[in-house]
Amino acid sequence: MRSFWTVMKFTFLNHVRSKSFISVTILFALLISAGVNAPSVISYFSEGKLTKVGAFAGNAITSGLKAYLNGQDKAKLVVTEYPDQGSPAADEEFARKAVANGEVNGFLVMTSSATPGAFPAFRYLSKGTITQTGTSSQLETALQTVKLNLTVKELKLTKEQVAQLYAPVALERIQINSGSVGSGTDTGGTAAEGKTPSEQLVSYILVYALMVLLFMALSMYGNMTASEITAEKSSRVMEVLITSVSPLKQMFGKVFGMFLLGVAQMALFIVVALANLNLPNNRDFFSKNDLDFGSIPASLYIYFVLFYLLGFFLYVILYAAMGSIVSRTEELGQAIMPITLLSLAAFYIGIYGINAPSGTFIRVASFIPFFTPNIMFLRIGMFGVPEWEIWLSIAILVAAILFFGWLSAKIYRTGVLMYGKRPSIKEIRKAMKAYKL
Amino acid sequence: MSVLQLEEVTKRYGDKTAVNGISLTVEKGEIYGLLGGNGAGKTTTMRMVLGLIYPDEGRIRYHGKPYSKELLGKLGYLPEERGLYPKIKVSDQILYLAELRGVSRATADKALKGWLEKFEVPEYYGKKVEELSKGNQQKIQFIAAVIHDPDILILDEAFSGLDPVNVELLKATVIELRDKGKTILFSSHRMDHVEELCRNICILHRSNTVLKGSLREIKASYPKERVLLETAAPISGLGELPGVTLVKQEETHYELRVTDPAAAQQILHTAMAEAAVNRFQIVEPTLNEIFIKKVGDGE
Repeated sequence: MRSFWTVMKFTFLNHVRSKSFISVTILFALLISAGVNAPSVISYFSEGKLTKVGAFAGNAITSGLKAYLNGQDKAKLVVTEYPDQGSPAADEEFARKAVANGEVNGFLVMTSSATPGAFPAFRYLSKGTITQTGTSSQLETALQTVKLNLTVKELKLTKEQVAQLYAPVALERIQINSGSVGSGTDTGGTAAEGKTPSEQLVSYILVYALMVLLFMALSMYGNMTASEITAEKSSRVMEVLITSVSPLKQMFGKVFGMFLLGVAQMALFIVVALANLNLPNNRDFFSKNDLDFGSIPASLYIYFVLFYLLGFFLYVILYAAMGSIVSRTEELGQAIMPITLLSLAAFYIGIYGINAPSGTFIRVASFIPFFTPNIMFLRIGMFGVPEWEIWLSIAILVAAILFFGWLSAKIYRTGVLMYGKRPSIKEIRKAMKAYKL
Repeated sequence: MSVLQLEEVTKRYGDKTAVNGISLTVEKGEIYGLLGGNGAGKTTTMRMVLGLIYPDEGRIRYHGKPYSKELLGKLGYLPEERGLYPKIKVSDQILYLAELRGVSRATADKALKGWLEKFEVPEYYGKKVEELSKGNQQKIQFIAAVIHDPDILILDEAFSGLDPVNVELLKATVIELRDKGKTILFSSHRMDHVEELCRNICILHRSNTVLKGSLREIKASYPKERVLLETAAPISGLGELPGVTLVKQEETHYELRVTDPAAAQQILHTAMAEAAVNRFQIVEPTLNEIFIKKVGDGE
């Protein structure tokens, strides 16, 4: 046991002290800070910055539009009136010029007012691309309101009739749940009420966070573990190491050291994120968007941690096995490809599953150990799963970790003494027999 | 009781036999030489002794007992190819290896400083291995093998890549360790090193033991066939003498091969008749010659 700790400590300290690890960590911490603050920074800069829209004076629509925008609290548009140029052609030319020389950001031109009484069509001239829909959609809403107002005025409706017309439709979304776990409100009934929209949103964020974090951690630490083992092999430190400590302890010490490193790094990132979220400029963002992280049951957080850890172990062990097959760093990329693809598959099945968490495919996938961490957590978070299913999947996952741990240690033990070209599976099996492993 | 004993140990990889029925015994305070060309089975034998791989047949005994995990801390191994972390400080990795073998950090640190001092390189303590020259890396590798004060030391090509000064330094250290009662299994291509250090040797050739025993007895059993002759003036007619098979004229002397001792005396008489003899020596065969003879025969 002592040598296990020694290996773990050595792995951890060597990475924590390495320049590349420190710089990557600082870089990520900065990125996280930037990401968390981005919405408020963007809104800070865009605040008070108005989009000037030109329009020709002398009709009810332009004045209505102006009145509507002035009445809005946080209108991003302001209408600048210009005298009518007489003919549509002159109007068009004037508008184009105004946009081109930057006098206004855009120009709203009426194209036809052929039938009196009918609401005219418009063209919006601006330098914006087709993807910049912000201004035009705001204009559309504004015009829609102006049209409604004009029509209401024309029809001479009473106040009550107007109120009736404007009254919004009520549609409340309620999830019906046959399972018992993961529900915030009820645990007993057969058709219990599921999650409220706010709970679902928080669960959704957690599910997404798990998938992204796990994927990132695996591609980082999996690669690091594999390349470290290959480096030990190519520098022949391995021969000295296995004469000092048993391969199983050696490998698990390394995996745990990496794991500790990953947890330390993740904890740091979470602290950075939380510190940034608690800045005054970010605090009201959550309350505004109805995000209450206390609204979901604590069990979801526990599952989050549990599945993250188990997923991390399973994959890092697999990466370690691949690292011990090859003897040169150049060959490593090819060898770990299958594992990388597997983690990618888990990620994409998860993305697909967010939209259809109750499908049979997702249900089956949640019991396949390589996918369990992402998919089972997704099912728990988005839908609610009977408790026995959760524990069954965890049992399968743990069994898989033990099995692959044992297998990886064997591959490690054999692969370490096989140099030269990358061995095939048959050669590894033969070597295992030859070495009596 | 012998510290290390191999009995009819055989190892096969598939159809290929890597080591075929090797037997040897190493006592306490003895350096045992394992000789052989490339691919003769030296490293496989050493790996079996280390417990890295298990023999298919035969058995290996350590102090009369079979291999066990407890032995890990008592074995020291210097691999033929350097096995160190290139990017990690000397002190960090040596202390790590020592700790893995159950030595406390403080003890190991003291030992490491002592060894660096002994090898006249105390400034390497905080250096990365990749910053050191090949020969100096070999010194660090040697320290890695002995840092935990093992009873049994396995040195695979310990002196490769070293300059003559450092070879002497390491040779003296190996002898010192032997005198402290360590049991050392030593392999080398360099016959002169083996001749200097080992009491008993075993020559392997293509997985088989071709010659084994005490170095002195082996040498004595080979006829003394080589004669060195240094004279003031050139001698003619040496080649025509009975029993002389080869005459080689070097810069300063003649080197001759004879079939029996009488022929050697004949050479001396002939030389003395023609010129003043500065040097006349009947040379014992070197291990190198014996090796080439033994291994060369099989070719």
